Amino acid sequence: MSTEIIAIAAAMAISISTLGPSIAQGLTAKSAMESIARQPDAAKDIRSTLIISLALMEALTIYGLLIAFMLVAKI
Amino acid sequence: MGEGSKVVIHLFGILDVTGEVIMMWIILAIVLLISLLIKHNLRERPGIFQNIIETGVEYLDHFFEGLLGHEKSRKYFSFLASLFIFIIFANYSGLFPGVGLTDYAKAPTSSLSVTAGLGIVTFLFLQFAGLRCGVKHYFKRFVSPMFFMLPLLLLDEFIKPASLALRLFGNVFGEEMVTEELYSILPIGVPIVMMVLSLLFCALQALVFTMLTSIYLDEATETE
Repeated sequence: MSTEIIAIAAAMAISISTLGPSIAQGLTAKSAMESIARQPDAAKDIRSTLIISLALMEALTIYGLLIAFMLVAKI
Repeated sequence: MGEGSKVVIHLFGILDVTGEVIMMWIILAIVLLISLLIKHNLRERPGIFQNIIETGVEYLDHFFEGLLGHEKSRKYFSFLASLFIFIIFANYSGLFPGVGLTDYAKAPTSSLSVTAGLGIVTFLFLQFAGLRCGVKHYFKRFVSPMFFMLPLLLLDEFIKPASLALRLFGNVFGEEMVTEELYSILPIGVPIVMMVLSLLFCALQALVFTMLTSIYLDEATETE
C-alpha cells in the first residue's frame, strides 16, 4: 500500500512543481520576445537577462524533481 | 542522494574511486593535454587549432567582460573560465556512447557530490574575493540597508551555492534519467531526441552556472 502512495506522491511532486514555473517562464519569454521585436539592438542584453531569470525559475522545478527522485528511491 | 554510484576501485584502501571520478580524471587529462599542446605551439600567426581555441577564449572573455566590466573580468577570468570549461566538458561527457550505462564511466555533474563540491569552491571564492576588497566593506554588505536584514542576508549567502549545485545536478541528472528511460523503451533511435536537446541544455547549464557566479561575484566585490 505505502509504495503506491509514494509513487503517486513522486508523480505529484514533479507535476505540481512544474505548473507555476512553466507559466512564469512562458510569460517571461513572451515579454522578452516582444521587447526584442520592439528593440532589436538591445537583443544581447535582453537575452542574458532572460537566461538568468529562466534559470532562477527553473530552480523551483528542479527542487520538485529532486524530491521526486528522493521519493522514487524509497520505493 | 538520488544516486547509486558504486565504488569501482579501492585506491590504497582509503580512496573510493567511482565512475564519476574516473570520468573527471579523463576530462582533466584531456583539458591538460589540449592546453599543453596549445602552449607548446603558440605562434604569432595562429594555425587552425590555435584559432579555434582563441575564438573560444575570446568569446568567454567578452562574455565575462559584459557581466563584470573590464577590470574585474581581468582579475577573475581564470577562475570563471576554468569553471566554465570544466562544467561544459563534464556535461558533454554524458553524451558519449556508453557513458552512464556502466559503473566505470558517468557524467561527473550527474552526481550531487561533484556539483556540491563546485558549489563549495564557488562559495569560498566569493567570500575571499569579498574579503580582499576590504574587510569593513565585506561585513557592511550583510547589514547594508538595515541591520535587521542580517539573518536573511546571511541565509542568502549560504543558499546561493546550494541552489547553484542543486540546479546543475538536477538538470544533468534529469537529462541522464530521461535518456536512460527512453533507452529502456526502445534502444535504437528514440534516445536521440533527448540527446539533441541535451546538446543545447548542457551548454546552457554551464553558461548559467558561470553567469550566476559572476553576478554573485559582482555583488560581493562591489565598491562605491
